[in-house]
Amino acid sequence: MHILSRNKWPIFIGLAPALVIYLLFAIVPIIISFYYSVMDWDGFTDMKFVGLENFREALTDPIFWSSLKNNLLVVAASVFGQIPIALFFALLLNRKLKGGKIFRTLGFMPVVISTVIISLVWGMMYNSRRGLFNKLLEAVGLENLAQNWLGDPKWAMISVCITMVWQFVGLYLIIFLAALQNIPQEIYEAAEIDGASEMKKTRYITLPMMRNSIIVAVILCISGSLRTFDLIYVMTSGGPGHSTEVLAMYMFDQTFSSTRYGYGSALSLFIFFFSLLLVYVSTLVLKRKET
Amino acid sequence: MLKKMKSRSFLVMMAFLLALMTACSGKGSDQASGDNNASAKDGNKIELTFWNIWTDPSPQIEASKKQVEAFMKEHPNIVIKQQNIPHDQYKVKVKTQAAGKQLPDLIQVWPGAELKPLVDGKLIQPIDDMLSHWSDLLPEEKLGDYRMNGKQYALPGSITPTSLVYYDKDILKNVGYDEFPNTYEEFKKLIAKLNDKKIIPIALGNKAQWILQSSYISTIGDRLTGDQFLSSVLDSGDKKFTDEKFIQAVKVIKELADLKAFNEDFNSIDNVQHRDLFVLGEAAMMIDGAWSLGPLLKDAPDKNVGIAVFPKVEGGEGDPAAVSAVSGTGIALNSELKGEKLKAAQEFFEYFYSKEYFTELLKANVLVPANIEPPAGISPLLKEVSKLVSHKLVPVYDATLPTNVTDILNTGLQEVTLGTMSPEELAEKLQKAVDKQK
Repeated sequence: MHILSRNKWPIFIGLAPALVIYLLFAIVPIIISFYYSVMDWDGFTDMKFVGLENFREALTDPIFWSSLKNNLLVVAASVFGQIPIALFFALLLNRKLKGGKIFRTLGFMPVVISTVIISLVWGMMYNSRRGLFNKLLEAVGLENLAQNWLGDPKWAMISVCITMVWQFVGLYLIIFLAALQNIPQEIYEAAEIDGASEMKKTRYITLPMMRNSIIVAVILCISGSLRTFDLIYVMTSGGPGHSTEVLAMYMFDQTFSSTRYGYGSALSLFIFFFSLLLVYVSTLVLKRKET
Repeated sequence: MLKKMKSRSFLVMMAFLLALMTACSGKGSDQASGDNNASAKDGNKIELTFWNIWTDPSPQIEASKKQVEAFMKEHPNIVIKQQNIPHDQYKVKVKTQAAGKQLPDLIQVWPGAELKPLVDGKLIQPIDDMLSHWSDLLPEEKLGDYRMNGKQYALPGSITPTSLVYYDKDILKNVGYDEFPNTYEEFKKLIAKLNDKKIIPIALGNKAQWILQSSYISTIGDRLTGDQFLSSVLDSGDKKFTDEKFIQAVKVIKELADLKAFNEDFNSIDNVQHRDLFVLGEAAMMIDGAWSLGPLLKDAPDKNVGIAVFPKVEGGEGDPAAVSAVSGTGIALNSELKGEKLKAAQEFFEYFYSKEYFTELLKANVLVPANIEPPAGISPLLKEVSKLVSHKLVPVYDATLPTNVTDILNTGLQEVTLGTMSPEELAEKLQKAVDKQK
């Protein structure tokens, strides 16, 4: 460590390129967003200073709140859908299972497929006249359960969430499988000598040993689902009405389709603060568990 | 040993990077010097920069490109430097470059609401003093989309009706209609009859939300409110979206949805999918723009298709034969253009918008705003359409309204069909957004 104490300049020079790029492309735009957010600007004519008007409008905008609600729904569906399902399958696949590798690959496949393709294919499956789900329900005589999945505001958000869960289960499956491989066999052997049942082994050895991986997965899951955009954009483009609108989409529409750069910037700042808050709360919760 | 290897591979890497960098910069400087030579050789060459979206090999774009090339051949002292940019990126690029006042000399533009910010920002200049050149070819009433504050800013290359009723003559005959119904009441009876036969009356794919606005309310609204409605809502404020007539127009759309005139998944499929429903014969009609004409002729050349306009609505103030139509793209002049360059640009305009150009477009199944004899051999359907549009054209909502009002209308119409918003609520919301603009 003598390099560190002698001269700090080489370290700084080494860091500089990355730092400059990071400042230029991540921090500066955030600061510029602050500036735009107090302006009324359509990108063509001169900007007009409007103070906090954009923020006031956002807070009284019912679509903003319903987008927020949908966003929270996505977060909840991801955290309480993706992670338990992934955990369940990871525990299952970790046993000496015939064809385990095949199932692992199958599970991971959706993560590799482009979101646009997933959205289009699921959109076809959800189709109310021709889609797989309604045809299946019809085939088993349950046609009164058939729904207009993506066209009915009651079902659209739920349908989108189901697709989202399916899409990312594989990612967490792989993370959990990796964590499972890292648990030393000796502990299990010791437990077996003590006569622990399989249930007990899972409950008292496997899950506690995987704690850190689960925490990482939850944080990845929250931040990932706050950003969600592409899947919904292709599948429903926020519709019908605004029933599947999420914050990122609403911001995009306001900025680039309604060309209200100021209002869009204000919305994006709300997303920014909201993400910070959620990350802060989730670290608080997880910290409390640790002590 | 290991250390030595590492340092050697580091050296190789650096050498490689260096080679890469010099290779890149070398190419760049070559190009630049090449340009210099060209202008040095011929001192008084005038160069005009021109951005457009001519990236696809469609017949319309090919014809336009040919015009530019022919012009340069005949005017060796003028060079037109094109940048062909894909449509979506083009729009973003123009918006960002406009913010930095770095637009080219010639800019491809869209009419109405898209043009307005460019005019308001004083980024383009009017072309009124050269209009007389086209007084025979281009009738004045077809240029209105590019007129703003009484000044002309561009010329339309084509004209696109957005609201035509395509109908399957055979299916209509089966339910007892030899002719397309003339009134809305009769139209509703037709829908009921088709529903009885379990045929989808009207194929609709409104996932992207603009179809109900562009192809439906633009014409249905005009049937009820008359053609001066939009301009008086936006400019003088004499009329309002909350007027009874406009609400009635929205109610027509709601009624169609309530009558189950559309396929039930109309909010989750898009406008290409709805064309498939029509082509496959699952639906008897579709209300769509002229852009579906080409694909339709290609996919179902033998289908017995008729084309009509939306029927007359009882109590409406509009012309029952009017069709909402939008002018195709035009070319505008940068406001900073003057002197020799301006003259060159004007020469280019006069050459570009010629009778031959419009004839070429007609041959490619593109409707044009020009008064010319249709060339022999164009499809009968296109002739039918050009007859329909020769009567009266009215503005399309999204080409006239500010973009944020259009967005409200787009999602609002979808919500009206779902029943989550009433026509009155939508009207109020629209009026509020318009009032805020003033």
